[in-house]
Amino acid sequence: MQSIVHVVLAGLSAGMFIWLVASGLTLIFGVLGVLNFAHGSFYMLGAYVSFTLVKVLAPHFYLALLFGPLAVCLAGLVVERFFLRPVYRLELPYQLLLTFAFVLIFDNVVKLVWGGGALAPPAGLGPLRGSVSILGRNFPVYSLFVIAVGPLVALALWAVLERTWIGRIVRAASSDREMASALGVRVPALFTGVFVFGTWLGGVGGALAVPYVGLLTPGMGESIIIEAFIVAVIGGLGSLKGAFVGALVIGILSAFGTRFFPTFDMFLTFILMAAVLLVRPRGLFGAAR
Amino acid sequence: MGKRGVNRREFLKLTGTGSILAAAAAAFPRGVFSAEPKVKGPIKVGYQCVLSGTLAGYGEFHKMGVQMAVDEINEKGGIAGAKVEVDIRDSTTKPEDAIKNARYFVDSWGADFLAGIDSSGQVLALAPIMEQLDRVLIVTHAATEKLTEEWVFKKGVKQIFRNCTPTYQDSNAAAFVAKDFPIKRWATISPKYEYGFTCWKMFQQTLTKLKPGVTFETESFAPFGTTDFRSHINTILDAKPEGLYSTEWAGELISFVKQAREAGLFDKIKYVMFPVGAAMDVLEGTGKDLPDGVWMSARYFFLYPNNKTNNDWVARFQKRWNHYPAYVSETGYSAIYAIKAAVEKAGSKDTKAVIQAMEGMEMDSPAGRRLFRKEDHQALYDVPWGRAKADPKYPFKIMGEQVVIPASACFNRPPFEGPGSTPPF
Repeated sequence: MQSIVHVVLAGLSAGMFIWLVASGLTLIFGVLGVLNFAHGSFYMLGAYVSFTLVKVLAPHFYLALLFGPLAVCLAGLVVERFFLRPVYRLELPYQLLLTFAFVLIFDNVVKLVWGGGALAPPAGLGPLRGSVSILGRNFPVYSLFVIAVGPLVALALWAVLERTWIGRIVRAASSDREMASALGVRVPALFTGVFVFGTWLGGVGGALAVPYVGLLTPGMGESIIIEAFIVAVIGGLGSLKGAFVGALVIGILSAFGTRFFPTFDMFLTFILMAAVLLVRPRGLFGAAR
Repeated sequence: MGKRGVNRREFLKLTGTGSILAAAAAAFPRGVFSAEPKVKGPIKVGYQCVLSGTLAGYGEFHKMGVQMAVDEINEKGGIAGAKVEVDIRDSTTKPEDAIKNARYFVDSWGADFLAGIDSSGQVLALAPIMEQLDRVLIVTHAATEKLTEEWVFKKGVKQIFRNCTPTYQDSNAAAFVAKDFPIKRWATISPKYEYGFTCWKMFQQTLTKLKPGVTFETESFAPFGTTDFRSHINTILDAKPEGLYSTEWAGELISFVKQAREAGLFDKIKYVMFPVGAAMDVLEGTGKDLPDGVWMSARYFFLYPNNKTNNDWVARFQKRWNHYPAYVSETGYSAIYAIKAAVEKAGSKDTKAVIQAMEGMEMDSPAGRRLFRKEDHQALYDVPWGRAKADPKYPFKIMGEQVVIPASACFNRPPFEGPGSTPPF
């Protein structure tokens, strides 16, 4: 029992990180139709900037969680406004190439600014350091915090998209760009806004990862983006609900795999993805376009 | 692509100072090689190490050591009167990149020697083409024993040498230390690839021989790139072992230590062994989070041996780079000096002559006296195991209570099969 509960908890917290990254990826794909490979780099930038801010702003670490992702938004703004916008009209491979170029650029920027070595912030953060005993085994307080943040972000996203005026416009523009434009929506500005917001979500994921992983490396964005893509594909590209469910499934499945089927744990997620694609080619919650 | 630009820059940086000094040396000849250089220079070394991705920090440490050796040697007149040139390329960790680099070095750049390489998978991929490339390769980081046992000794690929400690240090030496612990039940969290598997197997075999009755309760192997070890930690805690042996290394070990600490693993398991825990990046990265009393080792530790050669080198390194040397800095540095010693002994940079000179060659190095064993081309030198302890002089934990298991006692011996080839002897 103790073992099962802890495996589930570990899976939940891991899943929430994938969700935070996958949510921005999904939002940007759903609205802009861009598969943003560089999204993992925004996660990495969020982590590095917040790491520096935590040191500068100590002991007000929560300010770092606030300002770190905002700094990443600036990078997102530049990428969208000056680089991505001219290639919207081109085919998907061009967007992929461009965003992949940014993966390499940001990796090297990080190496130039912070060095190629691993940076190791302390585990936990401020009052969230330490552990609580759950069924006789320690569980980090910070992981509980992460498990709480994930659903809150999901709820907030849902509320904004479904219940507000701006959400309606975003949905309108995503379902029919031309019609929305004809009705007076400034689509380019809206796209910039959505992209920057998606970037912010990636930055938040990165900022939260600092005390969770306890390690920053220049390649950290590349590993998470693959998981986020898998989650987005399983959930249905462009579906936020799908990304949330997908992240939970992948997180918990990996945790169980590691614990109970260690021989297969590296393949489990790929097997699941293949199975989902065979049965539902558009993913669990993917809409037929 | 951009790759080449970076390398050109590195290359110029490395040779720039060297060439000025070599020119000065040529203008004022002195010493043994002053009349005319015996060996036609320059002596070109193609060095590859990981400079991108999560392990990029290791490459930087390699570079520091290599660059120091090159500058020192060229300042003092080069190798047998010839200047050393080093080109450093990013090996990543992929086998195909290691092969691509080696071919570029030999075919296009004109390398006389090859050195470096971090991953076991890479050296095993490179080994089959070494006879064809026909240059001496000095491996400075990859640790799989199969390289020297199978490729050098059994298959006779004489071009390969290794100057870092192999898996014997990680597993056999660990078993010698572990046999004195008052415990019997062991478990592991280790990397899910060649290095992790082979070390755990060797540790089990040797410990079983040294201390019959030990049991190995569970094993959890983490894929390369794991950042979240919490499920692995659960696996171990469920099995309730008394000892944990883990060959996790670099960033993954840093993450693991922090997460294990949060989960209370070090309170429940009293005997923990990290064969690569005393690596500089791990010591600095874990800082105060590395629990006191944890057993650890590395392929070189900057406070051992406590003698003039090593202490002077550490001081010079510290002064130049504002950093303590990592073990790959030492192996990179010593690899260049091994080339110098071998070429000067052979009086030639011809591969065949150099191989002959290097077999059985002994040399002084910061890590102590190194002997390149004739049969398998593995360098023998001693690295201590010790327990983590705080020291006010350093901002990280250092190795206290050092125990030295001599390489001659814990390294497997030729013919690498049958009784008498694995310790204890």
